[in-house]
Amino acid sequence: MTDIEALYIFDAHNNCILEHVYASRPPPARTVLPLYLAHPSPRPSLLHLPNTTPPVLLYSLVQDQLLFLSPHTSDTEPLLVLEFLHRVADALEDFLGSPLLASRIESRYDVVAQLLGEMCDGGLVASTEPNALRDLVSTESWVGKVMGGLGLPGASSFKHPVGPPPSLPPVPWRRANVRHTSNELYVDIVETLLVTLSPSGLPLRATANGTIAFTAKVSGVPDLLLSLTCAGGGKQAVEKTVRLPVFHPCVRLARWRERPGTLSFVPPDGRFVLAGYEVDLLAGRGLGGDVDIPTPNAVGSKGGSSGAAASAAKLNIPAAVEVQTGLGPSGSEFEVSLFLSPRSMSSSASSSSSSLGGASTPSGSGGSGGGRPGLNRGLSSSGSNPLAALSSFSSAGTSQAPTLSDILVRIPLPPSVKSLPEIRPSRGEAMFAAADMAVEWRIASREVTGLMGAGRSGGGRGAAPAATLRCAVVGMVSDDEDEEGEEEDGDAVGGGVAQWTGGRVAETWEYDDPSAMAVSYQNEPALTGQNKKRARKDAVEKERERDERRAKQNAVLMPSGAIVSFQVKGWLASGVRVESLNVDTRASRGLGAGVTPFKGVKYLTVSDEGVESRC
Amino acid sequence: MESISRISGMLEAARDLTLEAAHGASTARPARPPRPLPLPQLKKLLESRSERDVHDGLRRVLTMTLTAPRSATLPLFTSVVNQIASPSPLTRKLVYAYLLAHAEHAPDTALLSINSIQRALSDPNPQARATALRVMSGIRVPAISGIVALAIKRGAADMHASVRRAAALACPKCYALDPATGPSTLEEVIAQLLVDKAYWVAGAAVAAWRAVCPDRWEMLHPAYRGLVRKLVDMDEWGQIVTLRVLTTYVRRCFPRRVKRVRKQRVGAGVDEKGVTEAGAGAKNKVATEDDLKNFYGEDDDTQGRKEQEDAEGDESSTFDSPENYDEILQLDPDLDLLLRTSLPLLQSRNSAVLVALARLYSAVDSPTSTPQTSTYLDRAVGPLVALLRSPVDIQLIALHNIVALALSRPAPFVPYAAHFVQRASDPEPVSQLKLELLTLLFAASRPPSTPSDGTPTRALILAELAHAMRARRSPALVSAAVRALARCARAADPTTAAYCLRLLLAQLRAPDARLVGETLECVRVLVQLDPGAHARTTVVRLARSLDGAAAPMARACIVWLVGEFAGLDPADNIAADVLRVLVKGFADEDESVKAQIVLLAAKVYVHWLNVTKDEREGAEAAAAGKDRGAQQLGEQQSSINFLGGEDEGGFADNVFDTNATFTTTNATNDDGPKSSDPFADHPIPLLWQHTLLLARYDTSYDLRDRARLYRALLATPSSTELATLLLLAPKPIPHAPSPSEGHQHYVLGSASLVVGEPGGGADSVAGLGLPGYEPLPDWVEPGREPNPKLRDEGRGDEYSSEGRGAHVPASEKLDEAAAAQPAEKKANGLKEKSLDDWLEESEGEQESEREGSEEEETETEEETEEETSEEETEEEESEGEERDRLIR
Repeated sequence: MTDIEALYIFDAHNNCILEHVYASRPPPARTVLPLYLAHPSPRPSLLHLPNTTPPVLLYSLVQDQLLFLSPHTSDTEPLLVLEFLHRVADALEDFLGSPLLASRIESRYDVVAQLLGEMCDGGLVASTEPNALRDLVSTESWVGKVMGGLGLPGASSFKHPVGPPPSLPPVPWRRANVRHTSNELYVDIVETLLVTLSPSGLPLRATANGTIAFTAKVSGVPDLLLSLTCAGGGKQAVEKTVRLPVFHPCVRLARWRERPGTLSFVPPDGRFVLAGYEVDLLAGRGLGGDVDIPTPNAVGSKGGSSGAAASAAKLNIPAAVEVQTGLGPSGSEFEVSLFLSPRSMSSSASSSSSSLGGASTPSGSGGSGGGRPGLNRGLSSSGSNPLAALSSFSSAGTSQAPTLSDILVRIPLPPSVKSLPEIRPSRGEAMFAAADMAVEWRIASREVTGLMGAGRSGGGRGAAPAATLRCAVVGMVSDDEDEEGEEEDGDAVGGGVAQWTGGRVAETWEYDDPSAMAVSYQNEPALTGQNKKRARKDAVEKERERDERRAKQNAVLMPSGAIVSFQVKGWLASGVRVESLNVDTRASRGLGAGVTPFKGVKYLTVSDEGVESRC
Repeated sequence: MESISRISGMLEAARDLTLEAAHGASTARPARPPRPLPLPQLKKLLESRSERDVHDGLRRVLTMTLTAPRSATLPLFTSVVNQIASPSPLTRKLVYAYLLAHAEHAPDTALLSINSIQRALSDPNPQARATALRVMSGIRVPAISGIVALAIKRGAADMHASVRRAAALACPKCYALDPATGPSTLEEVIAQLLVDKAYWVAGAAVAAWRAVCPDRWEMLHPAYRGLVRKLVDMDEWGQIVTLRVLTTYVRRCFPRRVKRVRKQRVGAGVDEKGVTEAGAGAKNKVATEDDLKNFYGEDDDTQGRKEQEDAEGDESSTFDSPENYDEILQLDPDLDLLLRTSLPLLQSRNSAVLVALARLYSAVDSPTSTPQTSTYLDRAVGPLVALLRSPVDIQLIALHNIVALALSRPAPFVPYAAHFVQRASDPEPVSQLKLELLTLLFAASRPPSTPSDGTPTRALILAELAHAMRARRSPALVSAAVRALARCARAADPTTAAYCLRLLLAQLRAPDARLVGETLECVRVLVQLDPGAHARTTVVRLARSLDGAAAPMARACIVWLVGEFAGLDPADNIAADVLRVLVKGFADEDESVKAQIVLLAAKVYVHWLNVTKDEREGAEAAAAGKDRGAQQLGEQQSSINFLGGEDEGGFADNVFDTNATFTTTNATNDDGPKSSDPFADHPIPLLWQHTLLLARYDTSYDLRDRARLYRALLATPSSTELATLLLLAPKPIPHAPSPSEGHQHYVLGSASLVVGEPGGGADSVAGLGLPGYEPLPDWVEPGREPNPKLRDEGRGDEYSSEGRGAHVPASEKLDEAAAAQPAEKKANGLKEKSLDDWLEESEGEQESEREGSEEEETETEEETEEETSEEETEEEESEGEERDRLIR
């Protein structure tokens, strides 16, 4: 019963750069790689290869362009293996530096070999905590190399004990004898937006996945207390906002249960993910009633456009798009409008997130708040030991003035599209990436700032789009082909049926048939198919019909939605913020008296292809 | 949980990273990896006196080890192993890494190294001891198995937890080396380590138990309660294996006792939450408990323990269910302890732990759920859904598990329906699973008791499926959406079903022929489900679309539908006319369509025969046998006149012997009977004849055979019973299973669940899974379970003394201990102490450890306590401190 049998790592060109077998005799890397590559992309993380000897399950992970493969000859827990692969990647990155590059692995095989040996012992996962590994794995950093010659211990923040540590650390996730000359604590909260807007502009789903990353560079064994709040007020708000949390093992769960929003922990040394959570941005409103079965005709109407903008503002999304399809005489054009709502960011921290927290304020009043972000009030220091106030350390994108940047709108197109003869963005640059069948429309940060300024001064809530992109589409099928198709068979079954049954069918027809044929069929049941066709072949009618027909054909080429990616520094969609971060001096050890660590907080909201508007 | 590297990537400017990557790619690649040196030069490096040269040589050797085949580095074996006694820890570690990779290939030389490793086993540094044990057991040379076993035994008695942990991890390796090497020795060691009070030893011991002696369940009995209490504090990997083992243990050792209890009072002891937080719930419900005690006094007095009462207290939630009799699952107190202690793990960051928990809860839950245990499973639902925040590879596996769980119990997932909305960036397998899940949720989304909250979920799901069809991300996805929609339509109310059908019918215009075929297949099932509602509308509409539908598969399907349902109402029947139009273009149709046209013709004819039967019988009575003959003639005529070929000959000989002679005799008066027969001129028989003729000259022998069959079947117009039976029998409605239904019986969290049946053939027995798959055992029969007294901890070790009297998780107990500590005592000891003092102390402790190694037998408990806490002085206080820190 082994957990891990082997680990193979391949670089971006699929050259095997590492092959390490833990237990039993799985097929070698050169056997499994072609089989893995033979599977069409995107490849699932678990493949069953019945044709190797012995047959294997192949787990895979792609990170930083490196491919991690782990073959297994028996049924194991897939998630265990995948989690292990993630931990290996994290550990390698921790030791070798980020990002993980093939060259870095190749130049430090001594470290890699030790790491792999310590992380998994004879097929059983042994130790994956980065801090514990730091104690177990001897590295010789370049500083150590230089200093080692002089007989001095390496003096850097990444200091490793020269000899083996005297004994094991009291907490498994923190290494012993940590010493830092400058004591620093950083809290980084990152929220990833996942928003899907229906064609009518109403949100189908709006959540933000939050991650609290923590960087602890503090001597000794500190005991920290981190308090989160929501603008809505008390602990209740936090409990309601921060849902389904998961925690690093160091967090005392009992404390969180007693007082949600309070994280009490002894941090590992260095950087780690403290907690993850998710926020339902629709909380309070819920699904109820808002979501309607979308009617196909509502797309592209004027009401729809204001809907998208309004919902973006209501949801506190700084940017949203809307797509109108089937424009132009033959319906071969589409237009993407980008809406920015700068107010949502400035007001979010105070007023609108209160509505998120479940308070009774209707969400519509979100924009009327004073716009004081309140993120940077400075943290209350506790007790007799005044601590340094938190300060935002990034120059651009502070919480007072959140900045929106890196706007990228991606419009995936159906595979039948051949080319786009016309792409006209009103701002920024747009191009058609034929490889992944999508139009990518990029707006530089400089321009975004200008747009945001305009949006503020204009004051209208998403009244007019900040920028538009218009494209024309040409499909694989040429226009000539539909001419012949137009000549319908005179004795169509439909017409014939009418003749046979004397039109009785028409009475019971319950569907609204979009095709023109249904209309004529219902209206003129007595006519034969031949007559019907002939009657309709007036010149004007024919022209119109051809346009309709083309539009119908072009409808296949229309995009089904657009996706916006962006980044907002200094702002969180959920309105969560750090209230205080205290070192419990009584519980901590090894931190010199009177030492006050520097503390910093950073907020970041990311939409990594996260805001999706359908049409 | 997101991985730290991804978060770092977001936080740091992407530009910097790419620059760095580009830099790394351009400069570092050719220069950094040391160029491979020829072997003699490497050897010289390794045997150099300079430590730096040795390092350099070892680094080069390891580079080759990880990339090149073993044969390249094997010649250096002796030179490398010579360095094993090096004073430098780095050198030793590098040598160990080399040794582990190569020992198998040079067993004799490897033995040279054993001596110095053995020396390291008694190193004063516990870490060095642990490493030595790890390396020694990792040398795959069967000859040393005896020595390894001895070393393990010694390591297991080590006072330092990390060495004991290494000993536990070494057991499977020793066992694999030589399975004959005293399993008794290893089992003894494992049994000892299972009850080890250091939580991170116990986890490794369970893994060792599972690898070495997975059938010795009796070894787990004394360790059970300790393991359960240590569960929350173990490392993630220990939690995974412990949960897995305990899940099976639960099934084997706790009989499922279900008691039917007559409900007495509505509202007595109602506790909506069902599962109460450990310990806390019991206090809140004193009154309830008293009630229950009286109540259970009537028929249940087997167990008078407090745990039992607690367990029953939880059961009070069942009292508000509507039935007169409630099924109450009686949880064994030990099982209850496990379930409650494991609850905090739901906030674990490790996805495998969460799935292992879900497996435990569902194992307790099945096969018939009760309100009480189901709440445990329901609690696992949210955290499982939260796994969708993970990287995409984990998402995929998590979704497989979620789907498997939702197949049997979709209701708790309904509130999370919005989490399964498609995203344009989802890879296809993820999207497929999401679609399937949405269908499952659709069926469950309107529980009868709460009609208000079901509807928006349904609307959401339908909108989602409609979008998936419109978005056309890939053909497979669209057809998956079509099938999902059809499954929804089956579960839906009439209005929604009509909407579903409309969405499906819109797909008929799609350019993709396969998709159209798929859609029609689904429409067919829907029509079959409710022919009355669709026969006059949907089928007619479909028939009209025959003008446009190009795909043969689609046409064939429509024709079949017309034949099957259009004839239901003889007064309003379009089938004949459809046939008329189709027959015109018969020659240009695809073969499958032709076959369906012939079938349609046969059905139309049978319908006509059935309708006109009475009239015909009247006419027949009048015209005696002549009419019959004439009618027969009408059919046989053609065969005789136009064919008369050899293939027809055999046919006539066998079946229509008498008829044939009869026909030939009447062949001359062809026109006579036909004109006199009022039915012969009817268009339907004529159409039938025409179709038969068309089929007869077709190039496909299959089609000709079919036509012949139908003709034989319908040869006698007066006796249509057989034909009716064959052609108009109600067709069974095909079952449309959810795609993952075949995998459902696999245990949650297994690879078989994801991959499914390896062979996939009919001969493979369902449930076998992949090699190494372990199904869950059935519940042990009541009366055959092991005695619960076996689980009593024999000796009063720390864990039981701490946790006695209540099944409070260790963490909470520790919390209390920390709270009880007087505050000022904490303050005065530590504040003044500087780090240096502190360091000195721990060094001092180490020395005392070294001295104390002889006394370890007597003082084991104290010593180990010291080590984990790493404090020598102020023992009590630091202990409290430690606990506080360890609380999760």
